[in-house]
Amino acid sequence: MTQTGSRPTRAAIVDRIVDHAADTRSLFLSLPDNAKLRFVPGQFISIAIKLPDETRTRPYTIASPSAEMPFEICFNRVPGGRGAEWLFERKLGDMIEFTGPYGTFTMDSTPEAETIFLVEETAIAPVRPMIHRAMGAVHAAMMLLHAASSQQHLIYRAEFESFAARDRNFRFEPMVLQPSDIYPRLLAEAERRWVTGDSDRSRQFYLCGVGKGVIALRDLLRGAGYERRSVHYEQW
Amino acid sequence: MAKLRVIFENGDPERIIEFDPAKAPFHHDGRPGSILDILLGHKIHLEHACGGNCACTTCHIIVKQGGKTLSEATEQEEDMLDKAPGLTPSSRLGCQAVVEDPDAEITVVIPRYTINLANESAEE
Repeated sequence: MTQTGSRPTRAAIVDRIVDHAADTRSLFLSLPDNAKLRFVPGQFISIAIKLPDETRTRPYTIASPSAEMPFEICFNRVPGGRGAEWLFERKLGDMIEFTGPYGTFTMDSTPEAETIFLVEETAIAPVRPMIHRAMGAVHAAMMLLHAASSQQHLIYRAEFESFAARDRNFRFEPMVLQPSDIYPRLLAEAERRWVTGDSDRSRQFYLCGVGKGVIALRDLLRGAGYERRSVHYEQW
Repeated sequence: MAKLRVIFENGDPERIIEFDPAKAPFHHDGRPGSILDILLGHKIHLEHACGGNCACTTCHIIVKQGGKTLSEATEQEEDMLDKAPGLTPSSRLGCQAVVEDPDAEITVVIPRYTINLANESAEE
């Protein structure tokens, strides 16, 4: 725990820039003296967005596996999103100030119950380190349903396909859909597979995305009898 | 006019804000008219690491008076509060608790500590 208002600000340097699509980018950030950033898979850092008229605080999820440095944040442009625009303007060698990591949408240990990840677009970012962590140990069955608006937006696809090819206990289903179809399809899939599909309610779910669709998924699963604490979610 | 009294558990001097809830938003983070929005709009710092999106507990506040003049907590806020240290029956997230009564008289305490699961120190 930390005293309110006294969190140390850290500096990171933009070490590498990777564009996944025209509107989706990863920044790889290094810390001074080759330091590592310790975090729990699923957490985010809080970046000081230094605009001409003010400084805003905006969260960006750590997308890289925990041991990896420089660490990666992944984000996309959003209408009116000054934070993402500011990040898109950063260049190699620029300094970024942040605090954290923060957040409780996390996976603290390798899953012992069947685990389903339902995510859209860049909301894959918090889930990626969770899956990496689980793949490093004996784990319960895991399934990732990643819905996106184009093949380009199915970021990390090759990596997840590689995991699925070598580990029969991990299934990966990418889906390309019209943006307006993403949540209706995720809801339909969840209902068909894990609500009406069987009576097993021992699974856990990790849901992540933007807007009310995440809440609709949460309500569907909790309403179907899954334990409240087995339905983890993060809505942006 | 509504009145918001802010007590800081860390010993900072208490503040009293008078405001018109109908004039929300006062800032751009948290729900319009929320305690976070009001505080930031009156240049009073309240942590909000997630940008006021109900994705962390750094804006945890304890409502000492006037809780019934605030919006009801949603399931999402309750889920998040479950993870806040020092949770009390009158705990709220500052980014979510919206002042709904134009004549509200509210007292909130800003706790000394907020949660952070991972050690914030960079490892060598």
